[in-house]
Amino acid sequence: MSRFKLSCMQVIAIAKNTYKEAIRSKIFYVLMAFAIAMLGFAVILSFLTIGSQKRVILDLGLAGISFFSVMTSIFVGIGLIYLEIEKKTIYNVLSKPLPRASFIVGRYFGLMAVLGINLIAMLIILSIALLFFKGFTPMIFYAGLFIYLELAVITAIAIFFSSIASPVLSAICTLAFYLIGHTSSTFPEMLVPLLHNDIQKKIALFFFHILPDLSILNVSNLITYNIPIAPGFTIRGIIYAVLFSTLLIFAGCLFFKKRDLV
Amino acid sequence: MTKDAILVKNLKKHFKGHLSIGRIEALKGVNLEVKEGGIYGFIGPNGAGKTTTLKIITGLIFPDEGEVQIFGKPHTDYIIRKDIGFLPESPYFYDYLTGEELVKFFGSLFGIQKKELNERTKYLLDLVGLKGKEKIPLRKYSKGMLQRVGLAQALINDAKLLILDEPMSGLDPIGRREIRDLILKLKEEGKTIFFSSHILADAEMICDEVAIIVKGKIVQKGRLEELLAKDVQFYDISFKGIETPPELKDKVVVAFEGYSMIRLKDEDEVDKALATLINKGGKIMSLMPHKTSLEEIFLSSIEEKKNE
Ligand SMILES: Nc1ncnc2c1ncn2[C@@H]1O[C@H](COP(=O)(O)OP(=O)(O)OP(=O)(O)O)[C@@H](O)[C@H]1O
Ligand SMILES: [Mg+2]
Repeated sequence: MSRFKLSCMQVIAIAKNTYKEAIRSKIFYVLMAFAIAMLGFAVILSFLTIGSQKRVILDLGLAGISFFSVMTSIFVGIGLIYLEIEKKTIYNVLSKPLPRASFIVGRYFGLMAVLGINLIAMLIILSIALLFFKGFTPMIFYAGLFIYLELAVITAIAIFFSSIASPVLSAICTLAFYLIGHTSSTFPEMLVPLLHNDIQKKIALFFFHILPDLSILNVSNLITYNIPIAPGFTIRGIIYAVLFSTLLIFAGCLFFKKRDLV
Repeated sequence: MTKDAILVKNLKKHFKGHLSIGRIEALKGVNLEVKEGGIYGFIGPNGAGKTTTLKIITGLIFPDEGEVQIFGKPHTDYIIRKDIGFLPESPYFYDYLTGEELVKFFGSLFGIQKKELNERTKYLLDLVGLKGKEKIPLRKYSKGMLQRVGLAQALINDAKLLILDEPMSGLDPIGRREIRDLILKLKEEGKTIFFSSHILADAEMICDEVAIIVKGKIVQKGRLEELLAKDVQFYDISFKGIETPPELKDKVVVAFEGYSMIRLKDEDEVDKALATLINKGGKIMSLMPHKTSLEEIFLSSIEEKKNE
């Protein structure tokens, strides 16, 4: 068997195991229950608003799904590597013939599978609610794709921190990353005018450009307000998410490679 | 020339102390040659550096200095671990898996195909005495059961070399015996077994070769029978029916209600003493050669190290 084929088998085995771990753990169900409660809340709230009931459900529903998926991604993701070391379960995995990178990649794909299934389940529930109020649009699945792309990035960030830091620190860093990612697109407008000379402005703009920009992956607004989606938007989002996550996972693997597992 | 299954050269490793203060020299230049075939015991008191050595061999931590070869190849290439079955110290496993799922999971990391994996898993769980417990999640296993499932997963790839960290820990006397028998069986199959332990009786019973590590240094190593024969042995003779003859008076260890026991250092003395005693009409009750036990070697090694 070639090394490549062996590695693929190992990544699949680890991903499957990660999946089992998640669906057999409590935190997963707790977050799922919250998400469903949020949908219920959206429906109740929609009765109280004067405007379009459909829009409130769609809006709050997508926001809720996105929020709870991100929370699952962060709170499961930060433990993905660290807890394995903490609980010493990693010893037995890494003493097998597998490169450490396979472990990280397998863990990543496993959590992405969990998040994917989780997301589809929540979208189906949202669809049912919307069908009930005659407000269903297939665009929610398009929004789902973008939520998933965002999750790919967030999970990569969480796993990156998890391979170098403790869960608490990882959680803080990942959340900070998430917040910066969602607001960074407004930084140039807000902050650059405050600077006085051109060089400062150029430097500031350069830094803003290397910050993560998750607004690229945000379509919920476009959908709720029925704004037409520009051609190339989808491809741009996919490329951005894939590149960003690959880079982060690669960096995580590099740090993890030489680490003493004590 | 036959290759060593494990060759460890001048291994050094330090750890940072608590809160990164201070420096613990866990290994101070360890050398080991584990020949192919046979059982090699790696003995040492708590904190001597056994687990540290095994973790370096299996690639979990990196040495400061020194090198390791497995069947003649550097251990830095992960693929050589295909030939190793490893049981970590007090096995920590995914407790949400069942015994069967766990063994299969580790099997799949070796690229074992499904059909073979199913058969082998069943066979091994049976072999380690977990028949009927396959479908129970590990969180409900007892310590001894965990140790057994740990052994089963270490055997899943049918490796030529088995590295076991404290394989007998957590087991009751019957369990220990079963594991000893299993290790002997594996040896018969031509495998090399390298295991760490501080239970000397176990090691003494099954090892062909041992190395004793104390405070990060190997203090004794070699074939077990040579180590045991090296130190001076003595003989105890007990007899009754006569007073101890004057020439043997200074050898008496106990004298009690007509029984006496004398202790002699070498064989010639024993022959002479026996002749004397029988001549005088004494009745020999027993003649006990006293061999140095591994425990005594072990304790004296630690004692020497302390005085250094
Ligand atoms: N992660 C660590 N951080 C700091 N010190 C460590 C670490 N791991 C081991 N040590 C120290 O290294 C030394 C050797 O430990 P090791 O676990 O190798 O001993 P051992 O021979 O396996 O002992 P035991 O029989 O108790 O299992 C000990 O002094 C221990 O305190
Ligand atoms: Mg140990």
